[in-house]
Amino acid sequence: MKKKSIFVLSLILIFSMLLGACASATPKDEAKPLKIGGALALTGINAPIDEPALRGIQLAVDEINANGGILGRQVEFVNLDSKSDPVTSADVGVQLVQQGVVAIIPAADFDMGGPACREAQKASIVCISTTASSPLFGSKALGDKVFTLSMWNTTMGAAAAEFAYKEQKWTKVWVVTDTFIDYTKSLSRYFTEQFNSLGGTVLFEDTYTQGAQDFSSQLARIQTAKEKPDFIYVSSYMPDLGTIIRTIREAGIDLPIMGGDTYDDPGLFEAVGADYGNEIYFVTHGFLSKEANPRVEDFITAYTKKYNEAPEAIWIMPGYDVIYVLKKAMEKAGTTDGAAVAKAMEEMTFDNLTGQLHWSDAASGHMPTKAAALVKLESGKPKFISWITPATLPEP
Amino acid sequence: MITFGFLINAISLGSLYALISLGLVMIYGVLKMVNFAYGELIMVGGYGLYLVGSKFNLPWIFVAAAAILAAMLVSYLTELVAFRHVREKSLTALLITSFAVSTLLQNGALLIISPRAKAVSLPKIFSSSITFLGITTPARNILTIAITILLLLGLSLLLRRTMLGIALRAASDNFRMTRMLGIPANLVISSAFIISGAIAGVVSLFWVGRTASVTPSIGQGPLLIAFIAIVVGGISSLEGAVVGGFVYGILFSFIGVLLPQTLLDYREAFMFVIVILILLWRPEGLIRVKYAEERVG
Repeated sequence: MKKKSIFVLSLILIFSMLLGACASATPKDEAKPLKIGGALALTGINAPIDEPALRGIQLAVDEINANGGILGRQVEFVNLDSKSDPVTSADVGVQLVQQGVVAIIPAADFDMGGPACREAQKASIVCISTTASSPLFGSKALGDKVFTLSMWNTTMGAAAAEFAYKEQKWTKVWVVTDTFIDYTKSLSRYFTEQFNSLGGTVLFEDTYTQGAQDFSSQLARIQTAKEKPDFIYVSSYMPDLGTIIRTIREAGIDLPIMGGDTYDDPGLFEAVGADYGNEIYFVTHGFLSKEANPRVEDFITAYTKKYNEAPEAIWIMPGYDVIYVLKKAMEKAGTTDGAAVAKAMEEMTFDNLTGQLHWSDAASGHMPTKAAALVKLESGKPKFISWITPATLPEP
Repeated sequence: MITFGFLINAISLGSLYALISLGLVMIYGVLKMVNFAYGELIMVGGYGLYLVGSKFNLPWIFVAAAAILAAMLVSYLTELVAFRHVREKSLTALLITSFAVSTLLQNGALLIISPRAKAVSLPKIFSSSITFLGITTPARNILTIAITILLLLGLSLLLRRTMLGIALRAASDNFRMTRMLGIPANLVISSAFIISGAIAGVVSLFWVGRTASVTPSIGQGPLLIAFIAIVVGGISSLEGAVVGGFVYGILFSFIGVLLPQTLLDYREAFMFVIVILILLWRPEGLIRVKYAEERVG
């Protein structure tokens, strides 16, 4: 038994040495590949968002490599799991810098992805998040080489407020905020700020904690409210978001429910199903169909070809976009130098799958200007309503 | 604000918490160890619902049975593969093993299935509401209460009327003495794990039934609830777990309703203050037992 395992082990060793020799032999003919580093979280609470983004990234890298690469060099994407943990994020950032990457894609969250970007900033390379939406995610808090592809929560909250107040003429809202993470709290704050400034009334601000799986006391308050709201704004995320919406609908309350990009989850669509999946509106990054952007059709075809299944979550598209943004910016700058690429990114407007995107300069925080997609659930199926660009935004 | 409908909700939550705690205390009874992998058994049940429900076109009752069986099987396997080998070692070794099993199962689900929430199929009764005595309440709430009562009755019959039950109770009172009397330790411990797994399986139906979806970390919430509930209720007896679960669930509901808006953010803080007060008043929990011994190897 022992002899056998030693034999197998030595075989593995020999093979890996051979493989290593092959790998180091090839790049001699061409220039060395361009390394882009990922500090995406494949485990922990950010994994549901980062894992699909990684699939989008890999698709974009394959496409770019088949068409000549970036600046004539092939692209190699290395992801090290940052485990949804701020400390690991920083460690992974350091490791990636040591491996000589020319850009870092961090976990899509300020707390869990920011530390990797700080390391990128120190090494003077660009760091772009796929969907971190905190207004802190930009040049002011993290440095002049840090960007996010997502709209900030200011836009996400304001878009919902404008749609509700201006288009639907809803004036009274009941707000429920999940207090477990910063994202949900900041989204509610910007939504209520904008809804108030438009002239709407916030009847009540209730809270919920992710993991409680019980919404009965909050429900009791809604049911016994003296003044009935026109709609309910719920800022939470899966899996408890499913519980909240189901509890509201099970009690026979069919008021419209609104929220942010965490609603954009096929798990939620199925969890509420055809019975409860009505009159639910959410603001998200884009929509997986050609109604929102004609280019999405080609993307879906390419994705289906690579993975043998249709893209099921919105989070794949920002992953795909982020690599093309890097390609365009590096080709405009003509170099992979961090300062030059960051400058090119500030000057350009990008035509992404998730819509047109422009960043302000470093002095004003790299604020992203991007339209928000408004999606509605009808009988448990998502339906694209429109792109919204809020006329005014709350202060970050 | 405290309507009849709210009371039903509170009692339903209390009975669910009682069930969750019961599964955890089953293992504590024989091994004197808090099984931190218990939450993952609930997760296994949830994924059982998802996998069997989406791959095979079976009536839901068979899907539910498969989910409960899966939780029982995994619970038994964790005992066989992991806990049995460290049972004679220190309590620290056991605890660390339970953390390892928990991490392993959670990451297994993450890698093999998906980090994203997966929707599970539920029968009509889980998403329908019933109206009686002037209130509308989800049928699931009534079902939770009924199933809890049935399970409690079944379990107390098992524990009081069968040989296995008597052995289990004897083992949780004095494990060494029980072994000396010729009761095989492996049998008693394995049975405790299987019963704990079965309870976790039933819990998963109702826990996952609330949100209708399952994620790799779904077991963390119930584990924490059970842990607090058994400490409050009294860790040395099954009655303690049940009482603790009810007290915790009902208290949680009432605090949520009675606090004014400005203090709602501190719901958990109030909850834990009450828990600490209970423990100051009765350090060994609400239910005291006449005789409880420290763990022996």
